[in-house]
Amino acid sequence: MRARLHPLTALTAAGSVAVITVAADSWLLSLAVACAAGVLSVRAGVAGRVLPAAAVILAPLCLSLLMLHGLFFPEGHTVLAQWGPARVTTEGLGFALDLASRTAACVMVFLLFSFTVNVPDLVSALEARRVPAQFGFVLASTLTLLPAIAARLDRIRQAQESRGLVLRGGLLSRLGAVRLQMVPLVLALVDDAGNRAQALDARGFGIGGPRTSYRDVADPPAQRRFRAVALLLAAVAVALRLAASWPAAGLS
Amino acid sequence: MSATTRPALLARIGGFTFHGDARPVLRDVGLSAAPGTLTAVLGGSGSGKTTLGKLLAGWLRPGHAGSLMGSLELGPERLVFHGLADDPRINPGAWSRRVGFVPQDAAATLSTVRSTVAEELAFGLENRGMPRADMHAAVAGTATLTGLTALLERDPATLSGGELRRLAVGCAAITGPEVLVLDEPLASLDAAGAVQVRDLIRGLLDAGAAVIVLSQAADGLARTAGHWIILDGGTVTASGPPAQLMGAPELARSGVVVPDMPSAAPSRRDTSTGRTGAAPVLELRTVGFGYPAGRGSPPEAREEQVLRNLDLAVDPGEIVAVTGPNGAGKSTLLRHFNGLLRPAAGEVRVQGSSIASVPVGRVAASVGLLFQHPRDQLFERTVLREVSFGLRGRLGVEASVSRAYGALAAVGLSDAAGTHPAELPASQQRLLALATVVAREPALLALDEPTVGLDRHGLDLLHSAVEAATARGAAVVLVTHDVAYARAMAHRILELDGGRLRQV
Repeated sequence: MRARLHPLTALTAAGSVAVITVAADSWLLSLAVACAAGVLSVRAGVAGRVLPAAAVILAPLCLSLLMLHGLFFPEGHTVLAQWGPARVTTEGLGFALDLASRTAACVMVFLLFSFTVNVPDLVSALEARRVPAQFGFVLASTLTLLPAIAARLDRIRQAQESRGLVLRGGLLSRLGAVRLQMVPLVLALVDDAGNRAQALDARGFGIGGPRTSYRDVADPPAQRRFRAVALLLAAVAVALRLAASWPAAGLS
Repeated sequence: MSATTRPALLARIGGFTFHGDARPVLRDVGLSAAPGTLTAVLGGSGSGKTTLGKLLAGWLRPGHAGSLMGSLELGPERLVFHGLADDPRINPGAWSRRVGFVPQDAAATLSTVRSTVAEELAFGLENRGMPRADMHAAVAGTATLTGLTALLERDPATLSGGELRRLAVGCAAITGPEVLVLDEPLASLDAAGAVQVRDLIRGLLDAGAAVIVLSQAADGLARTAGHWIILDGGTVTASGPPAQLMGAPELARSGVVVPDMPSAAPSRRDTSTGRTGAAPVLELRTVGFGYPAGRGSPPEAREEQVLRNLDLAVDPGEIVAVTGPNGAGKSTLLRHFNGLLRPAAGEVRVQGSSIASVPVGRVAASVGLLFQHPRDQLFERTVLREVSFGLRGRLGVEASVSRAYGALAAVGLSDAAGTHPAELPASQQRLLALATVVAREPALLALDEPTVGLDRHGLDLLHSAVEAATARGAAVVLVTHDVAYARAMAHRILELDGGRLRQV
């Protein structure tokens, strides 16, 4: 699936699904989309990365939604339980569920996209559409930055351990080690960036003018049509949503 | 260099001073490189070779990085610099298309955002807007020249040192520059890798490029050069054909390593065995280790065995050299000595006790590890802080400072205590890394490629440091691809091959 899908098709699909889900404003549809993204991530073999990442983002978000709207929702009438000023209302829970499911759908869809997209393909596809090369470089660097930082931190830790830094499992010891590693990490990254800039200059990265791309990303006509339809559907969904809520907003 | 051939590059450097420095790093340097000829710039550590190379290649731009008095001529184009604000400016992108540069650290030239060797090669062409069909032809041609054809679909991050160097040369050569400047092109390569790079340079010369090699060794490659320039203290002390300069006093003074020069020290293996019969400092018992294979590999290839059933015992005062080709697992072996890597099978014992459940930081009191790349070892803000790291807790403030200064003096860096380690030349970074090891006075020194990048003065300092360590009873295990050095230094030479150690 990953090999055949043009990165812009995947991006358009993810973006359109997210827009349509938000516009539809139905928690059932949102949950269905989130579940579908989960199933696709299993089939693409990236569930092991998508699901933990989604949990890290969504768990605190859902908790805070529940705290805010589940317990304190002034418009709520159907009170299920009450502790002082905090009231659990059906409306509040419904609102929290709505927001949480919509966010979950968007997060899952974009995580699925970012863990399945082939970054070089994406950069190359963007460059072919005259997006500035610098943007593509920053995008690719950002996606490779975390592994690079992790590798650098590991090297610094090994160097420090080899000179007598004893790391224990405790939180305080870990925090102490992080403090020792931060300054070297930042200095090393700054140094790397300086060297990288020289090398990029020497390889003609900054000379401007037209660029070409070595990588040829296949973009079959069917996928182009699919993208056009997806964008159209998203636009229609937004238009319908606006039409449905505008007069109401105007009256209130 | 015949007078009839127009030089591809002609440089006359009256003086080059970095911004903020009082004294020029280069003065009175002249260099002329004709098409199809190899020029070797030879000099010891800190002689200004790398500065000269970067200046020629536009990596250091006059006006931008420092002030230049002199001229650079590239073909018919002549740029004259007076160290003034209205001096001509070099456009690095345009200049580098005609003068390619491969730095000592080959990985530093890579874009890091390309996923295959082919795309990395094409990066410089993409930036210059070459049509795709031409690019494919250029990549195929350069791959043939650099011997990378079989590796075109590989991820550059997975290449060995020799392959990476060839890729870096390929990236510089693919735009068809008239001049190529290579900084220490053979450093840290094994014999096979060195032959590949030498063949590659031969191919570039045949294709008509002027090649300038910067080196601190008058090695096999430098000896094939038509012209030598000896750089010492930032200026040219001698130049001419190799045959004329081989025995010149300027060469001897410069600190350049001359491989066949008879060593002052007799081969240690002729004089003693080193084995004392005392309890070994280090013992490896049937050690086995493998790295987990990459994702997506078949289950039967889940783990590639790097070390198999390996036994080793090293006595106090003994020097053991471990050799073997790039990628044989020599560095992996050393990382087992202090517990940075833990064996999958077998046991590592230091000074009689197993280190199985001892944290690396504690083993470090007995084992000092010199990493293969100094940049992996150095992380502090100043040279003095670097050497002092971890000493204060063990020795107290006063003793740690005097120990640190002692170690710096032993490697000739007493004057650099306040310098940032990244500002030192590569060879001094390695000596500083060595100082961080010897300052701890460990019972075992594990040195990974300690000679790489050292000039003759550096090698002498390394030699003294190893001698001093063994004199106080420490054991030394050094990994090197330099068999001649191993012969001169070690009591025993072992070759790591197929995961096992074999006496040579």
